Amino acid sequence: MTRYKKQDPELTRRKFINVAMGTGAAVGTLSLVSALGIAKPVFRLTADKAPPLKGDVLVHADAAKYGQPVKPSELSELAVIAYPMGRNKDGSTVIRAGEPNNQVGVYKFEPSALQAPTKIDATDNGIVVYSNTCTHAGCFPKSVNNQFIVNCPCHSGQYEPRQGCKVIGGPPPKPMPQLGVKVEGEQLVLTSSFLTSPYGYKNDEEWEAYLKQAEELLA
Amino acid sequence: MNQWLDDRLHISRLNDKFLRKAFPVHHSFFLGEITLFSLIVLIITGILLALAYEPSNSMVVNSFDPGTAAKPNMLPAAYHSALKINAMPFGDMLRRTHHWMANIMIAAAVLHLMRVYFTGAFKKPREINWWIGMLLLIFAGLTAVTGYILPYDNYAYSTVKVIYAITASVPWVGDWLAQAAFAGRFPGDGIIPRIYGYHIMLLPGILLAMTAAHMLIMIKQKHTQPQYAKRLAYKKIVGVPLMTQQTPIMLMLALLFTGLVMLFAAFIPVHPVEFFGPPSSSGVSNIKPDWYLLWVFGALAIIPGFEVEILGGTISAEFIGAMVFPGIVIGLMFAVPMLDRSKDNQYYAENPTNSPVRLAAGVAFMAMMLVMSVAGYKPELIESRLLTTNNANAILWILTFVIPALSYFGTIGIVRGIRALREADERETLAHAHADD
Repeated sequence: MTRYKKQDPELTRRKFINVAMGTGAAVGTLSLVSALGIAKPVFRLTADKAPPLKGDVLVHADAAKYGQPVKPSELSELAVIAYPMGRNKDGSTVIRAGEPNNQVGVYKFEPSALQAPTKIDATDNGIVVYSNTCTHAGCFPKSVNNQFIVNCPCHSGQYEPRQGCKVIGGPPPKPMPQLGVKVEGEQLVLTSSFLTSPYGYKNDEEWEAYLKQAEELLA
Repeated sequence: MNQWLDDRLHISRLNDKFLRKAFPVHHSFFLGEITLFSLIVLIITGILLALAYEPSNSMVVNSFDPGTAAKPNMLPAAYHSALKINAMPFGDMLRRTHHWMANIMIAAAVLHLMRVYFTGAFKKPREINWWIGMLLLIFAGLTAVTGYILPYDNYAYSTVKVIYAITASVPWVGDWLAQAAFAGRFPGDGIIPRIYGYHIMLLPGILLAMTAAHMLIMIKQKHTQPQYAKRLAYKKIVGVPLMTQQTPIMLMLALLFTGLVMLFAAFIPVHPVEFFGPPSSSGVSNIKPDWYLLWVFGALAIIPGFEVEILGGTISAEFIGAMVFPGIVIGLMFAVPMLDRSKDNQYYAENPTNSPVRLAAGVAFMAMMLVMSVAGYKPELIESRLLTTNNANAILWILTFVIPALSYFGTIGIVRGIRALREADERETLAHAHADD
């Protein structure tokens, strides 16, 4: 009699198959996960995908006048939709339409109609520029029925452009950010990018870090 | 010939096992079949469309209106090919048939699900098929949504932007997830090829595989028997065999149904790409998802905006409204068979009024979906002055809970009424029967 139980040295078929299947599944899953890594392409910043930068000129986004500079005389209380136009590394002009969230709305109100939290020193004689991307799900809002309120068609978010584009209805979590602007001759020139974090960025720090990175990359 | 095939393929065994499958004779059992026929027509029309479609969002010159050499009229290739399909003989009709069929497939699937729920056909042993059916519904929805994006008109562009935003709203991993799913930051250069892959390969593959599983399990477990089968032959399978009795009925139904949808497609336009135009900087007003996703849209419209940061991840209203809330709803539907604790196998379809709580819960659920879908029309409700911007959310939230509660208790009341009448009837018949003695 021995204290030790005699063990069958041979592997059972069932055990072999189970181990083989387990190993196969593990290797397969690992390789699938590594293959999934290719699903997300690398992002390369080009001038047309860069955020609006200081010194950019605003040009029409509308198909009929696409690429023509927005003139101060064309503005009213209803938004003129525009894209920033900057310069490439070789000095040629490039419209930053590769990033749809670069779209901005340009408004002109009576200077006295603009109230806080609008940053008045970022406006020029009642001309004020806001992002035109709803901070909720990234749709393009617009004014309807000649009301000066900005309505988002997707989930009925509403903004008040005379008061810093603050949210006055619907689900958006924060106002659409303002941009600094000044009139130079017949053109509108940006004096700053989005002053607070635009759609797609979690907070102001993340946005500022990205903006700094973009400026360095394109310098 | 038959003998030759039989010697090699054992057709007679196939005949015994599958082709003699008994189908219950009741019109409500055709709903699943209609869903299946829609899937088949969708695949056929989809193949035809794929032959003429160009899955790319790079810009090409519009061959219908090329503009000038100095200023060519550029369109995304996918949108351009949608215009070309419309210009083909019956091309527009083919697109519409595909679109209408997709809507009707989901409608038939939902009705089929309601039939299964209200008659208790999801009970043991058919829980697995209920779950596969739920997965089929989810994947059918995903296939429909990816199909929406393919024409790449302005509507599709807005839709995919919102879907990207919803994907990106997942805390911690959202950005990575959205970029992996949609080929980079929106709108990546490869977004249309990626979604094309989903819509014509991945999702239909999943749908076909799961449909096969759904039906094989159904053949193995047999249909629940309608009530008349209980009186006819207790605990026996009653019905008409697939070959050769059910097959002509199925064929006739498939042809009639397809003909009807073709008629729809011929006369009722759906998703006019020319009207929406190519992706542009101006949004689409009155954009709405299809009816089966309107409830999520409504939930997003009435949920107030908020953002909470937890351990570096942002939990937003979007995530709650478009991910967590539908997750709960779908989870509840998944859990339905687990709420039933019966030990015995379910043979017979039940009369819905025999389980008033189940009936009332189903009606309340549908009422809630309906109210939330109406909430999707919030801007229209405000515009028509039924509601105002200030009270819309509050009123719609109250209705979301009050109407389902009312329909729940209302249904229970009606069922009790029916029962009381039925019992009174029985007492009366009994009393008269004694009087006759």
